Amino acid sequence: MAVATLPHGATAGHADHGEVDQLYVETRALRLQGFLLFLISDCVLFSSFIFAYLYMRNSGQSWPPPGINHLDVAFAALNSVVLFGSGATMHYALENWKHNNFGRYAFFMIATIVLGILFLSGQAYEYTNLYFKEHVSWAGSGIFGASFFTLTGMHGFHVTVGVIYLTVLFLQSVHGVYTKDKYFGLTAGTLYWHFVDVIWVALFTIFYLI
Amino acid sequence: MSTTVEHAGGIADHIHPEPQGFIRRYVFSLDHKIIGIQYLITGFVFLVLAGLLAEVIRTQLLHANGGFVSNDTYNEVYTMHGSAMVWLVIIPLITGGFGNIIMPLQIGARDVAFPWLNMLSFWIFPVAGLMLFSSFLIGAPVAGWTEYPPMSLQAGPGTSMWAAAIFLVGVSSTLTGINFVVTMFQMRAPGMTFTRMPLFCWAQLATAPLLMIATTALAAALAALFMERQFGVPFFDPTKGGSPLMWQHMFWFYSHPAVYIMILPAFGMISEIIPTFSRKPIFGYKMIAFSSMAIALAGMMVWAHHMFTSGLAPYLQLPFMILTFTIAIPTGVKIFSWVATLWGGKIHYTTSMLFALGFLALFTLGGITGVFLAAVPFDLHVHGTYFVVAHFHYVLVGGSLMGVFAGMYYYFPKMTGRLMSEKLGKWHFWLFFIGFNGTFLPQHWLGMLGMPRRVPVYDPQFQFWNDVSTFGSYVMTFSILLFFINVLVSIRNGKKSGPNPWGARTLEWQIPSPPHYYNFKNIPTVYGLPYDFSQPLPYKGLEEELTDSPVHVGAH
Repeated sequence: MAVATLPHGATAGHADHGEVDQLYVETRALRLQGFLLFLISDCVLFSSFIFAYLYMRNSGQSWPPPGINHLDVAFAALNSVVLFGSGATMHYALENWKHNNFGRYAFFMIATIVLGILFLSGQAYEYTNLYFKEHVSWAGSGIFGASFFTLTGMHGFHVTVGVIYLTVLFLQSVHGVYTKDKYFGLTAGTLYWHFVDVIWVALFTIFYLI
Repeated sequence: MSTTVEHAGGIADHIHPEPQGFIRRYVFSLDHKIIGIQYLITGFVFLVLAGLLAEVIRTQLLHANGGFVSNDTYNEVYTMHGSAMVWLVIIPLITGGFGNIIMPLQIGARDVAFPWLNMLSFWIFPVAGLMLFSSFLIGAPVAGWTEYPPMSLQAGPGTSMWAAAIFLVGVSSTLTGINFVVTMFQMRAPGMTFTRMPLFCWAQLATAPLLMIATTALAAALAALFMERQFGVPFFDPTKGGSPLMWQHMFWFYSHPAVYIMILPAFGMISEIIPTFSRKPIFGYKMIAFSSMAIALAGMMVWAHHMFTSGLAPYLQLPFMILTFTIAIPTGVKIFSWVATLWGGKIHYTTSMLFALGFLALFTLGGITGVFLAAVPFDLHVHGTYFVVAHFHYVLVGGSLMGVFAGMYYYFPKMTGRLMSEKLGKWHFWLFFIGFNGTFLPQHWLGMLGMPRRVPVYDPQFQFWNDVSTFGSYVMTFSILLFFINVLVSIRNGKKSGPNPWGARTLEWQIPSPPHYYNFKNIPTVYGLPYDFSQPLPYKGLEEELTDSPVHVGAH
């Protein structure tokens, strides 16, 4: 067994070595690797739809199809800033947990959750705008509507799951499930949240920028 | 309990108390060996169902005018036969089944990395299988196992059921893939470096990423098909701005790697069986191991060779053709290595070895027709004919299913502690081999003459070879019946096998049959390759395994 090829984050144990037992170290390595593989395979799910969208876009005669260029790029950019900001607060939440600053950890964690909800509200606003004002819909606007709503919807679903996940993690940490040395759940939550951010970079690029 | 100092207190030293009660032990078991056997049982049940569908197909084709079932039923039958054989029979048997039972034992682990996830991914599978078969009640899918739009968009509600069921099987496969990769990366016994790992594990290591990555791509395609059928989201319908060709890309991006998911573990099994029954070190260990990885990698980049007649641009056809040809190289490396292992060996013709040798012959034939089909000009000629049907049955039945049978005769003693009957086994092998060739060899000629696949009636000039094919399939079915009789009889009355009936050298044979739920009393230390026959075993710390010495349960 690969003894303690400690993935990033486990450096937290530096301060007091004896606290973390071997079973925990090994179990943590398994879970971290499993979780990363899960994220990779989740990424393929998004990639397939992205591929499908780009494929269709490039095989058509002209792009965009008439009557579809209605995305509010400025608003989406603002919303993206909200999401990326939540990535930063998530990072600081984990760092503060590692350094035992529970107060700051709680602040940044709640900030992350609030920003996540804010992003979702922004997206809901964008959806209603598109649907009611621009008449762009999931089933009625060709491959653009299909891809846009499927991909951003899948992403929104991931953010929703993330918000619930982070809330659960926060409640767990308040109830003392995690310690200074054993906090794999928080690492996984952070990884998941960053993953959702990275996916958004790709989606923002293909739908709003190119 | 102590293995080596640096592991003290780790997972390897942690033995949970034995689960009590029938439900925890045999139904919702966390033990990889029990879960593997559950996969095998479920897979074989689906093999019977899908095999009966195959017999419906062959019986229909006994006469040029058909008449055994209606044409609509015939469409449902061949669609369900293909779907069930791929997703409910071969993939679960060969990854979930044998992978689960053998791989953790071979690497010297107590279980897979995530036993609970393993249980979950097993239980998704029979549920999905029942969903798939229940689509017969609402009008089964009819567009073939590939479900090309626009036909799959226009067919009855069963197609949505099909998409949902296959999606679930895919989730199960993905979870299994993640579990296996982590297990092999993190839980190998001390001293078992990657280049000392048995070849069956290498094959699983090459397969698992395909399970994780390709299956998810299929999930996207299935989700898109489902959304289009249920909510009218225009992914594939050209009249609404979609593209039917996109389905083919998305589908084959999974389904071509899927053929390697189905064959690589069989390669691994053959790589265990051939050296054991030749009493010779395997020839080219590293080349066999790396060629599995090469096949898996190249297999991800050749999907469009299924689409040469779909209007793919000519500048795309050429690279896909050449890349497909290159897969023949690592595959050839394997075939030659196995033949070189046999060369000069002291060959024991057990049933398991006969199936392995049969595999060599039939898979090579199927592989060669695969190279034919990869050539664009030839493919244009025989695309959608029985030549294709003959080709993929040679690799999937002559390859994967023969591998499953070889593995069953080989590992049955490890699972049950009893040997299967060699006499019945040899009948099984010879009838299967003759029946198989009787069924599928004539289909090469039929395809070359131009008989299209998936037709319920055909030109009378094809009648003779179709009849040969149908009688061959009856012989094959009868031989599989013998196999099931053999399994059922041998579970109760087979000869006791002892821990290592074949004199094999991998780790799983050094412990009792069937193994204890914790696998090893002490995790052994590995000093070399498992295939060096005539050398001492390269393991330390196995002295207590076959004795009555107690094991310290719940050490922590």
